[in-house]
This record gives sequence, structure tokens and C-alpha cells, in this order.
Amino acid sequence: MDERLSPDQLLSSLSQIETEFRSDVEGAADLAGLQQIKTKYTGKKGLLTARMKALSSITDPAQKKEFGRRLNEVKNIIEETIKGKELSLREGEKERRLLTEKIDVTLPGKTTPFGRQHPINNILAEIKEIFVSMGFGIEDGPEVELDHYNFEALNIPKDHPARDMQDTFYVSDEVVLRTHTSPVQVRVMEKRQPPLKIIAPGKVYRCDADVSHTAMFHQVEGLMVDTDISFSDLKGVLELFIHSFFGKETPVRFRPSYFPFTEPSAEVDIGCVFCKGKGCRVCKTTGWLEVLGSGLVNPRVFEMAGYDPDKYSGFAFGMGVERMTMLKYAIDDIRLFYENDVRFLRQF
Amino acid sequence: MKVSFEWLKEFVDVRVSPTEVADRLTMAGLEIEGMEPAGDDIVFEVNVTPNRPDCLSILGVAREVAAAFGMPLKVPDTGIQGDLPASEVTVEILDPALCNRYTGRLIKGVIVGDTPEWMKKRLEICGVRSLNNNIVDITNYVLLELGHPLHAFDTDKLFGSKIRVARAGEGRKITTLDGADRELSPDMLLIWDGKEPVAIAGVMGGEASSVTSETRNIFLESAYFEPTSIRRTSKALGLKTESSYRFERGTDVVFLENALNRAALLMRETGGGKIHEIVDAYPERYVPPAVEAAYDKVNSLLGTSITKEEMRALLGRIGISTEDRGEKLIAFPPSFRRDVRAYYDIVEEVARTYGFGNIDARNPKTELSAGILNRREINIGRIKEAVRRTGFTEVINYSFMNGADLDMLLIPHDNVRRRHVRVMNPLRQEDSLMRTTLVPSLLKNFLYNLSRGTRDIRFFECARVFIDDGGPLPLEELMLGGILFRENLPCLWKEETPSFFVVKGALDSLCGEMKIKGFSYVPSDEVFLHRGKSADVMLGGAKVGFIGELTPGVVEKLDLKVPKPEIVVFELNLERLHAAVPENLTYSPIPKYPAVERDIAVILDESLSSARVMEELKGYRSEYIERVELFDHYKGKNIPQGRKSLGYRITYRCPDRTLTDDEVEKIHTGLVAYILGKTGGELRGV
Ligand SMILES: [Zn+2]
Repeated sequence: MDERLSPDQLLSSLSQIETEFRSDVEGAADLAGLQQIKTKYTGKKGLLTARMKALSSITDPAQKKEFGRRLNEVKNIIEETIKGKELSLREGEKERRLLTEKIDVTLPGKTTPFGRQHPINNILAEIKEIFVSMGFGIEDGPEVELDHYNFEALNIPKDHPARDMQDTFYVSDEVVLRTHTSPVQVRVMEKRQPPLKIIAPGKVYRCDADVSHTAMFHQVEGLMVDTDISFSDLKGVLELFIHSFFGKETPVRFRPSYFPFTEPSAEVDIGCVFCKGKGCRVCKTTGWLEVLGSGLVNPRVFEMAGYDPDKYSGFAFGMGVERMTMLKYAIDDIRLFYENDVRFLRQF
Repeated sequence: MKVSFEWLKEFVDVRVSPTEVADRLTMAGLEIEGMEPAGDDIVFEVNVTPNRPDCLSILGVAREVAAAFGMPLKVPDTGIQGDLPASEVTVEILDPALCNRYTGRLIKGVIVGDTPEWMKKRLEICGVRSLNNNIVDITNYVLLELGHPLHAFDTDKLFGSKIRVARAGEGRKITTLDGADRELSPDMLLIWDGKEPVAIAGVMGGEASSVTSETRNIFLESAYFEPTSIRRTSKALGLKTESSYRFERGTDVVFLENALNRAALLMRETGGGKIHEIVDAYPERYVPPAVEAAYDKVNSLLGTSITKEEMRALLGRIGISTEDRGEKLIAFPPSFRRDVRAYYDIVEEVARTYGFGNIDARNPKTELSAGILNRREINIGRIKEAVRRTGFTEVINYSFMNGADLDMLLIPHDNVRRRHVRVMNPLRQEDSLMRTTLVPSLLKNFLYNLSRGTRDIRFFECARVFIDDGGPLPLEELMLGGILFRENLPCLWKEETPSFFVVKGALDSLCGEMKIKGFSYVPSDEVFLHRGKSADVMLGGAKVGFIGELTPGVVEKLDLKVPKPEIVVFELNLERLHAAVPENLTYSPIPKYPAVERDIAVILDESLSSARVMEELKGYRSEYIERVELFDHYKGKNIPQGRKSLGYRITYRCPDRTLTDDEVEKIHTGLVAYILGKTGGELRGV
């Protein structure tokens, strides 16, 4: 650096330095380059540092002041510009680093494959929920049952033709695999006094198996007993259930039937869910599907359970869960439920 | 029962379509299950419930049609005119309790020949095979038409021209019409001639006295037999006939005379001959019962407000006459409606004729009740849900098994699972026992799915097992069983936990979810499990189940194509799990002061179980140890043969202040020395 430059020359050299600096910064590609530039101008032996030392060589106060002001100005420009450039270079570097960490977001996630609930239990849960919301409690009884509870106490004596209605598995003369969930009714009545509002879901067994029957299936039994229960109430409760389960618009009809433990007895039909009542293979062209059996509790059953039939009345009903499930999911073969093929089960 | 629509129309003059008739009958309680065309006729498949034997005939169905449409019933005239010769056959009832009435007619000089075509056709439409024997076919025809079973004897084969009705007594045998020799038990009611039994009353005739092509003189029987007696006899002999089916449900003691006459007239019409005077043994005439029913009671049970007049008219429509007695009515059901005996039978008849559809639906007024969902129901639901969320899919299996299933699992003879309940009449021998364990069914589910290409199988079942404990009914216990098998297939995100620990982890998660405390695992001695890879599941000191890999001896029997398959099964007693679910939860405050964590790795003998080491660690007394967690289990490089390294993370915390480093150091040093001493281990260099 020539220390013998005139003050005017010194002043104009500052402009050269500024111009050169601007073009250097422009070309800085990374933080290291920027550091070099910083050293070139403001380092110990930097260009600007050298000019600062020249300040003392100017004697004219006015010239000295002007040079000093300009010197400061250039110094500030350099510092600010470097700071700004540094920021933008850092941003860029972060961006580049993120890009190197990029993943393929379209790869499949690591799933936690939940198991599935058996379709029968899906529907059973739905049925329970509806009745529980109506205030019914849930009760239980043995699957291997005394003949007494399965038949006798339900007004089906030993030599009654009604025994032919159900093919029974016998364990001994006095013990059977329950053919329906109705014995739970009796067991509950023996233990508790009215009012009574219960359902009893569970497995039942019949000694016949073909394309539409399995030796074991599921039923839900229901019982309501109080001082003023009528056939109207039976209709009210069962219509409410059917409308909750199959939808509000589902047609329902009650027609006379026979069960030894209820009188009057009624079968409950719904408008065929497949053909909407027009008639199809499933409903045997009648447009109706049988879904429930029901009736007013036969006073003889009350007497045997120790209830006074003059004081209490009630209704009972029963439904097959397999049938409800088949209707709900349009399943056409009851045997699928017990094959437990995972390709079937995973659909629910 | 099959009913010809054309035949029906002879009894009631319906003009509407068969479909409409079917609909009305169905809604009146006589369900028409199907309709099939048969030539220019239509056949109804009628489902007659056991309480309505009166509907087991064309006449019976016609009565219902007449009532439903409010039309008159046309019953064929069965009067036999003119002076008839006296009967040469005598009838004596020795057991009036089992035979209330016995009528008969002698028809002499009949020609046994072909059955007329029209009759054959009708029999066939209704599902009865014609024997092309006018006499036998007529008895069947009248049975279908009027619902009363008849029997024709060859009079010349009746010893002494006598009919006696009496029980079999000891040591009797008979050869029935179907050619079978039948041993009779003493209480069975028989028809005898002057010497021998000639028929099993109401069930089947004997061969010796039967009508053949040579028969010229017929004795026709029409009787009332007591239903229970007929049912017992039919059951005991395993002989169910159109006759026994009707007698055991109840026949019409009054109308049986008309059936007798109808058949006699048809016989004369087709085979000629002379009808003799009726013989009628009728020791005690039938008195129709008077059934009382209060109008109010009927209405309150139905939820209706039917007037007195309307109610009596409804009953009148189905042939039940009534008398009004102010608050109540007295009903006199006809002799074919023996099922109407009490006020609730009247309620049913009123409801049926009024129409169930005309009764309004209402919502019952009842009290609210507490505790609707019991704790058991809720807990078991949650337990099943927790298992499902750990990846197991629910199956439902039949409750049956057989002895071979237990043999396959090597179950010893004194094991509790051998105390099974046997079904006397199984559908298949494979299903002759009630399950005492869920494992055989789960294995079948596994095999079924494996053979269909499923490579990752995780199933659970929640069902009862049945243990014969000597009581009248077996012990029924709700079990939770499961099976896991997966082939090691390449997959995107690695999962390297051994199958045993996947299942064990599922059970641990389940206990965590249910807040069940005190769960532990000890080596199991279940014979069907791999001795080194199985555990009994303990809860509060008692065994509640097991978990483990099937032992190679059992796996071999499965004959799988997979080499060395790891099949893990488990079974837990759900009742006991549910009992261990805490009833109430109480919150504990969240710690205010920071914790300090220190790790320790101990090299120790391989045979020392991690549970033992954990127990020892927890045995070290310090109020500041908050948690001990096993985070590493290592064998191999840098660890001597027969030894393993276990790494633990210890969390120290004081509830009311921050622990200093010095304090932690002191306790930790103490703990390290303690555990090394207890286990004989050494610290693994860090
Ligand atoms: Zn349909």
C-alpha cells in the first residue's frame, strides 16, 4: 500500500475498494468464501484496515474529516453486506441439508393390524346396545341345562308334541344342551321379583345340521315383566328394536304363532331387506322375513316360577343372531360363520 | 302339511286368488310356507303348529279360511240312510282312560280293487303314495280330508268277531303292516280280537288282520285314543305314522263318527258291499268345558278396548259360542278345539281374530333401573377388545370336541381336561364331547387357514369349557384362548420379536389395559407345550392359564409342510382375569421433582431368569428407587459361554425434593454391590 497517496487519491481509492468488494461478495458461493472476503477487506492486513491506518497521514482537518466519514461509511457497508450475505448463505445450506434427508413419503406406513371381531359378535353387540339403551339388563345361564329349565318350566312337559319343534342333544335323561336361551328367563324369575327387563344372549344347540342350520347357533332372549304389560307393549318394544336395527322405514308385521311358553304368541316379520318386499328367493317370494318369535308370557310359566299371574304380566321374545347377521351383511351361507376363514373374518 | 287348493274349495267357496288366501291364513296363524303349482291345482305347504291338530286336514284349513273371509263352511253329508243290518262285530273298551270312544262299521261283500283316478291324484298331490287298493287309500283319503285316522280290518280274520281295546301286558309281540316284528311294552294300548292283538292302537295295524285283495268283509275303525299314550308308544317303537302324528296331538272325539261314515260311503261307492249299523263304545260322553274370561282382563292383556259384543262376535266366527255374564263371558269351545281351556287361550283367540295388526303399539311405562350393564359384561367386553387390538382376530367354534383331540395333545388320563361331558346323540362322532379346552378348535382354525395360503395367523376365541365336576350340571368356565403362527416372510418394516414374546406381550398389554396387577410367568408342565418355551400364567399365586410353543411331538402330528414351525398357543381363565380387574381406580399425583436415571449391565449365569433378577433388584430397600426397567438382554460376542448380559435402567426420585448427585451415587453404588452379591454376577464394562 502506498502511503504517499494524496488525500484525494485516498478518498477515491475507497470507492474502488467498495466496488471491488461488491463484486467479490456477489461471487461468494459459500460461507468459507465469504470468510475469505471478510479477511481480504477487514482482516488485520485487509484493504480497508490499511486505509484506516492512512487516516493519520492526512493533515488538513477538513480533508481528514471527510476521509474519516467516508471510511466509516464503507466499513459499515462491508459489515452489513457480509452479515446479510452470511444469513442467506446459511439458509441455503440448511435447505440443501434437508433435501439430502428427504424420504419417500409414498412408502407404506408400519401398520398395527388390529384383529377383527367375529361378525356374529358385531351384531350381538349391536343388539345388546339397543336393548341396554332401552333399559334392559344382560343375564346369563348355563349352556348345558337341566331338562327342567329347558322344557318343563317352560310349559313343555316330557310327552308334549312341542318337543318335536326342537331337535335336542341329550347328555342324560335329565340334562340337555339348551335348545334356546329361554331357560334363562326361568332362572332369573326364580331369583328376582318384578319389575324385570332383561335380555339373555348366548349359544344354543340343536341336533340338526344342513345348509341352513348349524348344530350350534346364537340367540338373544328377552323378557319384560311388570304389573301392566300388554301385547301393545310387546309390539312397541319390538318395533322400536327393529327400527333401530334395520332402519326406521322397515315394515314390521306381527302374526299369530305358537310357543308353549307364551300365549298369545307372535312371529315378527320384517319387509324383505333384499327385495324391499317385492318378493325374491330369500323371502320365498312372500316379501317378508321372519326375524323374531315373541308372545305374552304364559301364566303357567309364571306359576311355575313363583310369580302371581293375576298380578303380573309380561312378554318374552327370542331371535337368532346368525339370521340377523346374515340379513345385515347379506351373507348367504350360515356355515361361513363357523369355518373361520380369515378371508371372511377380515371383512368385518 | 300339503293342502290342495281345489280340494279346499269344495269346503269353502272362496273366489279370491290362492295368494290372497295364503296371506290371510298366514296372518291368522296358519302359516303358508310355500305354494307350488300341481297341474291345474295349487298346493299349499302349511305349517301347522302343535297346538292346532284341528288344522291337520282339508276340513280344518277350510274352517280357518271360512272364518278369515266370513264365509260359510260346506261339510260333506255323511248321513247313511235306510235300515241297516246290525253289526256282527262287538266292541269292548277295557281301558277307557286310554280310549275314550271306539266306533266301527262292518261292510260286507266289498270288492277290493283299484283306486279311482281322481282319488289317486289327490293323494299324490298331498304327498301320500297310493297303494292302488281302494280300501286302504280311502282311509288315507279321509284322514287327509277330515283329519281323523281310520283303520280297516279284514273282519274274517278277527277271531270271534270281537274287538277289544286293552293294554299289551307282559311279553307281547306283533307283526305290523310294514312286516316288522315288534316287541311291545306292557303299557302300550292295543286293539285285540277275541284272542290276539290285531293292531297297535293309533299307530299301526297288524299284518295278520290286514286288508288284502282277497278280503270281502271290512271292519272299519274310528276311535279316540289318549294323546300321551300314543306319543309314548310311537316314540318307544320309533314308529311315527300319519295316524300317530294326529292322535298324539289330539283328535275330535265327536266328529270321528262322521269320518267313519264318510269312509264307509266311499267304500260302498268304489267297491260295493253292504254297510252295517254303527257300533259305538263311548263309556263317557265328552262334555265341552266352559271357559271363563273377564272382558277387562282380555283387553288389559292385549292393550285394546274391544267391546263385549265385538269380543263375542270374534269368538263366534271361529266356532266358539259364548254366554255373557256381565263382567265376563263363558266360552264353549267346539270339540275340535281342545287347546282352548283357560282364559289366556281366549285372549289368544280374540287377538288372532281381531288381528295382531289392529292392536296399537305403545312404549311401556316402566321404572328406570340402575346397574343395567354388569361389571362382568363390561370387563369381558374390554378384555376381548384389548386382545383384538393386539392383532388377534376373533373366531367362534362349535363347543364340541372328541377324545382324539385330547390324545393328539397328549393330555394324560388324570388331567382335568379328561373330565368331559358326553353328548348321547351327537350328529357326528367327532363332536361327541363338550370342549374342556379351546386349543383343539384353535389348531383346526390354524390348519384350515394355513392350507388356504394364510401365512400370518393370529386368532382368539372367547368361549365356555365344560368340566364334569360330579354335580348335576358341569362347571362352565369362560376361557380366552388364542393361537399365533407366522411365516418369516420378507417385509418392509422389520419385526423380529420371537412369536412367544409377541403373544406374551399381547397378554401383558391386556393386563396393562385392564390394570390387572400381580401377573407372573413360571415354567409350565403342560405336556403339549415345548418344555423350554412355555409358561404357566399366574395371578395372585394361582394358575390362570398357560402360554407356549407347541411341543415338537404335537407339531409332528399336524403333518405340516413348514419346517420347524413355531406355533404359540395360550389359554386363560377369563372369569379369574375379570375378577382381578380393580373395581375402582385412584389417581396418584404426578411427581414434582426431577428423576435421575442410571444404567447398569450385569453379566450373569444364563440359567438365572430375568424375573429372578428383577425380583432381587426390587428387593433392594431404598425409598428413592422409583422404577427398574430391563432394557437389554444379550448373549454372544464379548460375553463368556453360558453367561448373558442384562441391562437395567434405574430411575431414582424423591417426592419432595431434588436428589443430589452424591445421594444418587451412594444409593446406586449400594444397589450395584447388592445385586452383584445376590446374583453372583459381574459388571459389564461400559
Ligand atoms: Zn325378498
